[in-house]
Amino acid sequence: MSPLRWSYMDHWRVDSPRGPVTQYSSPRRMDDFVKQISAVGFEGLDMFDFQIYGLTQMFGSIEKYQEFLRERGITKIVNLFRGIMYDPRRADPHVRETHDEIVESTRRMLRMWEGLQIESLIVMPAGLYIDAAPVTDDKIKAAAECWNRVGEMSAEFGVRTTCHHEFFCAIRTEDDIRKFYEWTDPRYVGFFCDTAQHCIAGIDPVALYEDLHDRCTGFHFKDTRQVDTTGAYANAPDAELMAPQTDRWFYEMGTDGGLVDFPRLMRAMRRHGFSGWVTVEHDKANIGGDYAESTALSMWYAKHVLSEIYA
Amino acid sequence: MTTPPPPPVRRGYAINQWKPNFDDFTRREHHVRALKVIAACGFRGVELRAGTGRWDPLGRPASIAANYGSTTAFIRLVRDLGIEAVSSWYFDPGEPIDEELSHGRSVLAPDDHKAIAETIRPFAEFLAAAGGSRLVVRALPAAWRTGALTAGQIAVAGAGWNTVGAAAAEFGIGVTLHADCLSAAADDKTLAALLDATDPALVGLTIDTAELTLAGLDPVATYQRHAERVDHLHLKDTRHVDDAGERLAPHAEAAMMSAGGAREIERWFFECGTPGGLVDFPGLFDRLGASGYAGWAVFESEQTPNPSSSVMLNAWYAQHVLGC
Repeated sequence: MSPLRWSYMDHWRVDSPRGPVTQYSSPRRMDDFVKQISAVGFEGLDMFDFQIYGLTQMFGSIEKYQEFLRERGITKIVNLFRGIMYDPRRADPHVRETHDEIVESTRRMLRMWEGLQIESLIVMPAGLYIDAAPVTDDKIKAAAECWNRVGEMSAEFGVRTTCHHEFFCAIRTEDDIRKFYEWTDPRYVGFFCDTAQHCIAGIDPVALYEDLHDRCTGFHFKDTRQVDTTGAYANAPDAELMAPQTDRWFYEMGTDGGLVDFPRLMRAMRRHGFSGWVTVEHDKANIGGDYAESTALSMWYAKHVLSEIYA
Repeated sequence: MTTPPPPPVRRGYAINQWKPNFDDFTRREHHVRALKVIAACGFRGVELRAGTGRWDPLGRPASIAANYGSTTAFIRLVRDLGIEAVSSWYFDPGEPIDEELSHGRSVLAPDDHKAIAETIRPFAEFLAAAGGSRLVVRALPAAWRTGALTAGQIAVAGAGWNTVGAAAAEFGIGVTLHADCLSAAADDKTLAALLDATDPALVGLTIDTAELTLAGLDPVATYQRHAERVDHLHLKDTRHVDDAGERLAPHAEAAMMSAGGAREIERWFFECGTPGGLVDFPGLFDRLGASGYAGWAVFESEQTPNPSSSVMLNAWYAQHVLGC
């Protein structure tokens, strides 16, 4: 049996007579979406937590949605990405006074969606750089304490807590990321490697994976054509969509001019015996592109280039 | 009673959907992306469409050579991307060919037969080199142009396709008659007569599921009636039948197919299995399996607003419903 299975991180949207819409807008669009990702070989689906409410409205329950997925060839929802907007007044990992709220809101969420049977809860381990700067060791330690608590709690639900470092996240440099994993408990806090985010932040994602492979629970395989050379990570009020440097940071694997060395990463994964789900992502593909095409091109690359190295 | 196994068809995809206008889909990187999408979805072949001029770089072998260095280089690229063959090439003799200073020819004109046969030779030669097997030809011009055809006219057309078929056969390629919904061949009696007028060893029949349905024919019944001649499939769906006979009215290409006719239909053709689709694909595949059809099944989705999405939806239907 192959050690790797492919999951799709959902940012999908399509053009419609009423403009761009997501698949959460109608059962028919959901049907189209699931069939399309299944057709190119995905077996799993990653999604945002804030989409779950809409699914229960559309299907009646999360169990019925998962049945809908299975009927179309998607075996499970693999990872849930917590799309929380941190605020130091209420919930922000570097603010210790807010940790109880982060832990308890996460507990409520996992209890509410226990039927999801996800493997990992993916979180951004700190707020935006611009909101947390200056980043100090104490703030990183505070965040580590936060996620140790969340991870211990999520383990009760059979869910791993794993951290995803956006290039504009407060814990974004190689040194700070290493400190964070030194100060978190390997039993409770995993590392989730987003290839493009690290690349944009000026970090070699393969080298980072080599260092943290024993903490790595999964990947977002996506590409970028640009390193942040303008301090975009500190762009206020937003770095992802509003930075002057570019209006589109992310591309599908195999894109022309892509900076991520996926073949080298696959060789490293093979060497370290990584097994499990690999998630493909290409958020904001609609900026000058198209989700359907990006999805198919990603899987062409996975099947015809990466699977030759490790499958 | 046992259900026949799925037919051992080879899945292909028609590239025509990527070129809705004459100046679309001109760059090589566009071709590569389209071919990767097709390959990623498990299709093993690609069908090209004949065209003319510098903005149709995949329109004819010489154009491919001009854009890719040689036809061999293009065939190698297709295979490197994971597609085994250029399965087939669609050719309408009525369309202009700038390279030949031709405004279009007609199989109903005996004097055109030799020229049509000469024209298709490079296509057949290319297909042979590319692992293909079928030259898909527009069987007859539009019905509104021809009017009711006499037995003599059908005999002329049959002789013409025999001539073309013989030329293609020199390269091991079969000529297969395609009846689009506007064609005079999209009529049960005319189609049967045309097949009778052609040599089964040289000329076969393509079942285009949506074109026949739109024209008011039953593609499954048409297959059953002519199963021994069917050597190619175009699979697409439609939600509409031309009940009003607009296909027979003057300028149906513009008034019906492009403008949508009196109902202003935005899109005539859909992916297989579309909600409200009229084609009985499982029924067709049951019969294909029973008769041991082993040729290409080329999926199409012209008029799609999103080619990649259509390829993926058709792939899902092929994998999960048709079992091919």
